[in-house]
Amino acid sequence: MATDPADVLIIGAGASGGVVGLRLAEAGFKVVCLEQGDWLDRADYPGNKLDWELKARKDWATSPNIRGLAADYPIVEDDTPVSPLMYNAVGGSTIIFAGAWPRALPSDFRVRSLDGVADDWPIDYFELLPYFYRTDRQFGVSGLPGDPAYPPDTEDAPMPPLPIGAAGMKVARGMTKLGWHWWPEFNSINSTPYDGRRPCVQRSTCQSGCNEGAKASTDLTHWPKTIGLGAKLITGARVSRIETNDHGLATGATWIDRDGEEHLQEAKVVVLAANAIGTPRLLLLSASARQPDGLANSSGLVGRRLMMHPFANVAGLFEEPLTSWAGQFGDLIESLEFYETDEKRGFVRGARWGLAPTGGPINAALPSRAGEQAWGPEHHTHVKTHLGHGANWGLFAEDLPDEANQVRLSSSITDSSGIPAPEIHYAMADNARRMLDFHIERAKESMDAAGAYKIEVDRLMRYSGWHLLGTARMGDDPRTSVLDRWNRTHDVPNLYVVDGSCFVTSSGVNPTSTIVSIALRAADHMVETRFEQQVPA
Amino acid sequence: MSTNAPADPLAALGPDERAALSAVAERLIPAAHGMPSAADVLTDERLRFVLTARPDLVEVVQAALRPGLGDDPQARLDTLSRDDPAALGALQLAIVAGYYTDKHVRELIGYPGQEALTIRSWELPPYLEEGLIDAVLARGPVWRDPATGTRAVVSDAPRTYAERFAAQREGADDGHDGA
Repeated sequence: MATDPADVLIIGAGASGGVVGLRLAEAGFKVVCLEQGDWLDRADYPGNKLDWELKARKDWATSPNIRGLAADYPIVEDDTPVSPLMYNAVGGSTIIFAGAWPRALPSDFRVRSLDGVADDWPIDYFELLPYFYRTDRQFGVSGLPGDPAYPPDTEDAPMPPLPIGAAGMKVARGMTKLGWHWWPEFNSINSTPYDGRRPCVQRSTCQSGCNEGAKASTDLTHWPKTIGLGAKLITGARVSRIETNDHGLATGATWIDRDGEEHLQEAKVVVLAANAIGTPRLLLLSASARQPDGLANSSGLVGRRLMMHPFANVAGLFEEPLTSWAGQFGDLIESLEFYETDEKRGFVRGARWGLAPTGGPINAALPSRAGEQAWGPEHHTHVKTHLGHGANWGLFAEDLPDEANQVRLSSSITDSSGIPAPEIHYAMADNARRMLDFHIERAKESMDAAGAYKIEVDRLMRYSGWHLLGTARMGDDPRTSVLDRWNRTHDVPNLYVVDGSCFVTSSGVNPTSTIVSIALRAADHMVETRFEQQVPA
Repeated sequence: MSTNAPADPLAALGPDERAALSAVAERLIPAAHGMPSAADVLTDERLRFVLTARPDLVEVVQAALRPGLGDDPQARLDTLSRDDPAALGALQLAIVAGYYTDKHVRELIGYPGQEALTIRSWELPPYLEEGLIDAVLARGPVWRDPATGTRAVVSDAPRTYAERFAAQREGADDGHDGA
C-alpha cells in the first residue's frame, strides 16, 4: 500500500530524528517519520511506583534482548563482551538515557593529527559550537558555566546546575584534595521549569523514563512541535528496506505494520536516524543489483568501525549516610582530569568519569554494577552498609575504530516481522583495556581520597553499550567514508545518516549532545541547499 | 511484553513449592540484626505483588522450587547455582523484591522509596560556597588545544568563580583565536 509522498522521510523518532524533523518542518518541508515503537505515556513509567526496581530489570531494561517488547528487534550478541543498549519508541533511546550532556572535546576531532591514531574528522569542535548552543536550548540543559575542561563559552546553559548531593560533595572534596579536575555535570534535565516541562525531583529513575518530563526526550521536546507544524509520525512502522530507482536515488522506504501488512512511503529525500546498529542494518538490508554489498556501501565501511565505549565502574562505600538512592542518574559530577593523551601511561586518548547515584535496596542486594551479594545473617549488614552509602564512578573509555568491530546481518535470526536481525562482532582493544585499567586505579585513588572505606570494581560491564557509534563514518574521501561532511551518503545523493553512525572516532564522552548538534548542522545544510538537492523525478 | 501469566500468579505455586520458597527465603534472609526473616515477610500479598509485576518470573521460579530438588534449602541453592543460575537469579530476585517492597522492612532500613524532592536551584550551591570550584579554576584550562597539541592557554581565564562571574557580566572574550 503506497502513501502520500513526503519531501523528507525520517526513519527513527529518537534524538537525531527529532532534531532533524523539527528543523525541516520549521523550514516548510513535508516531513514523514517512520518509528517502529509507540508513543509512551509517562504516567505508566515505573519510577514513581513500588515495583520500579523489578520492572527496571525486564520491561524497562536498557537491553532490547532482555525487554523483548513488540517494538524491539533482537540483536545477536554472542561475539561481543558488551551488549548494545537502546529503546524503541517515539523519543528513541532518550526515553531511557541518563541525560548526561557533555560535549565532545576539541581534541576528539583531531585524533590522527594529535595522537597518530584513527582519523581526523572533517569538522571540528568550533564549527559545531553554535549547534551545541542551539541544541542545549532545544533540549533544556542545566549546568554550571565555566568548566575549564572546555574552551570558554559565549553562551551559558539555559538553566542553573542540578544539585550534586551529599555523594557528589564527598567525592568533589576528595578530588580537590588530589588537585584533580571535577565539575558539576551538565545534564539535559530541568533544574527549573523550562519549555513547558517540570523540574527534576531527584527520583534517580531517569533510565526507566522520567515521570516528571523533566529529562529531555524528543517525544516531549521535539515531536509535538514538529507534528504541530504539519509533520506526520507513523508508529509501529518497521522499515524493511530503503528503495532506490535506476538513477541510484532513494525513492522512499518499505515498511511493515504490526499486522504484517507492507507499505511503501515515497519521499524525495530519506534520512536515517535509527542508531549505529539500526542504520547499518537497514543499509545492508537495502542491497540491490546496483549496490550488491548494501546501500551506500561502495567504501565497504557500512556496519564497520562500531564503537561502544568500554565501561568500568568503581564504587566507593562510605560510613556516612549519603542518601545516594536519590539524585539525577544523568551524573552528579564529572572529571576530565585524565581525558587527554599522556603517552607515559601506556595508551593513547582517555576516559571521562561520571559520578552516579547507586539505586534502591534491590540493587543493594543484587547489584547490577560493581559489588557482591551476601546471604545469611550478614545480608542485613550488607544492605544497610550499601544502601545510600555509596557513590559510583562510571568510566567511559574512548573506543578507537577497528574495522573488525562491526554490525552484520544474521543469517538465522529475524525480528517479529521476519527481517534479519543485526549481529554484533566486537572485541575490546588492548589500548582500551590499558586505558580502563589505568583509570580504574585513579578512580580508586579518588574514592580513597574521598574517604571510602571499601571500593568495589566492575572492570568491564556487559550491559553498558549505551553509546552506539561509527558504523557509517563521515569523511571527505568516498573510498574511506560512507558520509560526506554534511551527513549525506557519498553514493546516494538524497540519502542522509544523522545518528551516531556518522562518528569518525568515539570521543570518550556520552555522545548525545554531539550527535544532535551534528544532526542539526546537517538539517541546516539541507535547508540551505534545498534547491540544489538532487531528488527522484 | 513479558510472557502471559495466569490471573492469579500464585496459583502456579502449590503447597510444596510454597514450602520450598519459605525454606529458601529463611536461608537467604534470616531474622537477624533486628530485621525480620524473608520467610515471614513473604506473604501471599507480597509474592503476588512481585509476580504480578514480573509475570515472566512465574515459570522460572516454579522451576527453581520443583520438589525434585529436595527439602534441604542449601542443597537446592547449590544445585541451582551449578545447573541453572538463571533460575537461581529469578528466585533470589523474587525473594529480595518481596522483602524490600514491604513497608515495615523499608522503615527498618530507613529507605523512604524514590521520593519526589524539591530542588532549590536558586540557592548558592554548597561547592561554590566551600570554594571547591575555585580550586578547579585556579589550576587553569584542562582542555587540549588542537592548534598546539598541548594544554590550552587562556590568558584571561578566571581563577575564581567570582572573577568568572564578573568577567561574564563585562562580556569577556571567548578566549579562542578561531584556529
